[in-house]
Amino acid sequence: MTSDPRPFRLAAVLNAAGPFLGLLLVIALFSLSAEVRPYFLSGANFKIILTQTVVVAICALGMTMIIVGGGIDLSVGSVVALSSVAGATLLVRDAPPAVAAMATVCVAAIVGCLNGLIISRIRLMPFIVTLGMMGIARGLAKWISNNQAVNFPESPINGIMALNAPDRFFPPPHGVWVAVILAVIMAVVMRQTVFGRFIFAIGSNETAARLSGVRVERQKLWIYTLAGVLFGIAGLMQLSRLTQGDPTVAIGLELDVIAAVVIGGASLSGGSGSILGSMIGALIMATLRNGSNQMGWPTYMQEIIIGVIILLAVGLDRLRRRRNG
Amino acid sequence: MKTPAALLIFLTLAGFLLPLRGADKYTIAVIPKGTTHEFWKSIHAGALKAKEELAAKNIQVDVIWKGPLREDDRDQQIQVVENFMTRRVSGIVLAPLDSQALAAPVANAVKAKVPVVIIDSDLKSDKQVSFVATDNFKGGQMAGEELGRLLGGKGKVILLRYAVGSASTEAREAGFLDVMKNKFPGIELVSSDQYAGATRESAYQAAQNVLNRHGRDVDGVFCPCEPVTVGMLMALKNIGKTGGRVKVVGFDAGTQPMEALKKGDVQALVVQNPVKMGYLGVETMVRHLRGEPVDKRVDTGVYLVTADNMNQPEVKELLNPPLDKYLK
Repeated sequence: MTSDPRPFRLAAVLNAAGPFLGLLLVIALFSLSAEVRPYFLSGANFKIILTQTVVVAICALGMTMIIVGGGIDLSVGSVVALSSVAGATLLVRDAPPAVAAMATVCVAAIVGCLNGLIISRIRLMPFIVTLGMMGIARGLAKWISNNQAVNFPESPINGIMALNAPDRFFPPPHGVWVAVILAVIMAVVMRQTVFGRFIFAIGSNETAARLSGVRVERQKLWIYTLAGVLFGIAGLMQLSRLTQGDPTVAIGLELDVIAAVVIGGASLSGGSGSILGSMIGALIMATLRNGSNQMGWPTYMQEIIIGVIILLAVGLDRLRRRRNG
Repeated sequence: MKTPAALLIFLTLAGFLLPLRGADKYTIAVIPKGTTHEFWKSIHAGALKAKEELAAKNIQVDVIWKGPLREDDRDQQIQVVENFMTRRVSGIVLAPLDSQALAAPVANAVKAKVPVVIIDSDLKSDKQVSFVATDNFKGGQMAGEELGRLLGGKGKVILLRYAVGSASTEAREAGFLDVMKNKFPGIELVSSDQYAGATRESAYQAAQNVLNRHGRDVDGVFCPCEPVTVGMLMALKNIGKTGGRVKVVGFDAGTQPMEALKKGDVQALVVQNPVKMGYLGVETMVRHLRGEPVDKRVDTGVYLVTADNMNQPEVKELLNPPLDKYLK
């Protein structure tokens, strides 16, 4: 397109800042009501919002990597359930907390690795493979747990997400710090490392990447495995938050996670997206939920609003591509 | 390009802002397990009834009714509790989805000086102001007595359980099994380990599966809540065992079980009083907030409804609570 370069640059800036502006807008919106403002704009409440974002955010880290690489993973919710149930089952059998935590992460990593193997070696579409895995992992979770919530005795794992001091911001649960640190690491990996740049390369044009010498299959295997590790960490957070392993937890989580990544500016056709954007996307949704609860809005209103925001975010993505193309 | 988008978001959201209100009154958040079942609508009506009656006594109460975003999702319900805690409502009336998972959030709310009254299902905690609910164990026993009576103390019986971790239905199931075991040794339980799941669809499928195995020789069924009763009835109809060929005792009323009771497909329903539960939940909370003493356990009663007594006025009121009067 040979248009005037200025609006294009403006659009680029706005696109980059888009999710952030969205978040500010949402916060501003709930601050309008004089009745809710003093509670909404409090340290204690921001702690709650951050705590509620942790599971979605950590999953979104893995999902960003997958989506940027041109893939998708529908099995996130089931994997979170499976790994947390596995961890809880070990705790019931008196495993040391550290072992249970490691196992929680490993189980999810194995599922991720399987996804990666099937997608890269057998060359099946990620959508189909992870759709299948969604059912398999959910079923396994219910099987292991004998279809019941697994209640384990008091464990240090419960402390990871425990909300101490509910009336002020400090100290936030450890899980919040874990999410922040992981996000920083993943942002560096995506931007600064060869591994990260290859993900963008594959997502933009797989054939070109292959021809330039990127070992696409091996790269994909690693993407899904590493994402699995992150989903496992999210599973550990979920376990800690519920203080039990619940095989029915996180049904539909995959959609929240994909929405967070998309709101954060990633394109489902691959090649673009950012960790920071996805984190803000996750925060936008948690903030909306938090605010609309406090305003007393009915549940269906939240669903509609989140839907509208996803459409807006994708609409922006579309506009940008049209300009670029 | 950004501006119209931003404006759109803003307008979408701003349109729903509630009018501003003063603060000199009680704001009580009532948190059900879900919002679509008729049972929860009755609880809602009861809460609003309490609000109206308290208003007549010059006590201003604002009732915020808010279920989890996804029905039956524990994590989402925890979020709702947390959000109302930082919202600093005067009190929370909660029907916990799980007796353990909701214990920590309730403890936090209490720590943040937001008192909590538990309704419907028990919580493994001693932090709550009061537990306002049906005596579900007694209700289950009542169902067991009735099914035993209908079968004359012998035959084969199925208990299709509801869902794991739901304290209210587990108590009903335990009450039912208690009576079966101790009072009716002639009755054989052919299946009591299958779960129906949270929706009518999942209950229907579970019922079909159980009946596929035991349908030919079963004589009686106990369904511990409404979706299970509905699913079981559909499955019984498929194999032509309705109309009393298999005796069905359900728990909770609702449109479809009531129709079935009239037609004779269901022989008896153990019915709770959800309007009273919602009413007493809010009322107990307000009494606590005003510094009056409250009981740790408030029983809201169970009633056995059969084709014979369903037309008595007090049973009618119980079965068809005047919801429209409160839920506009």
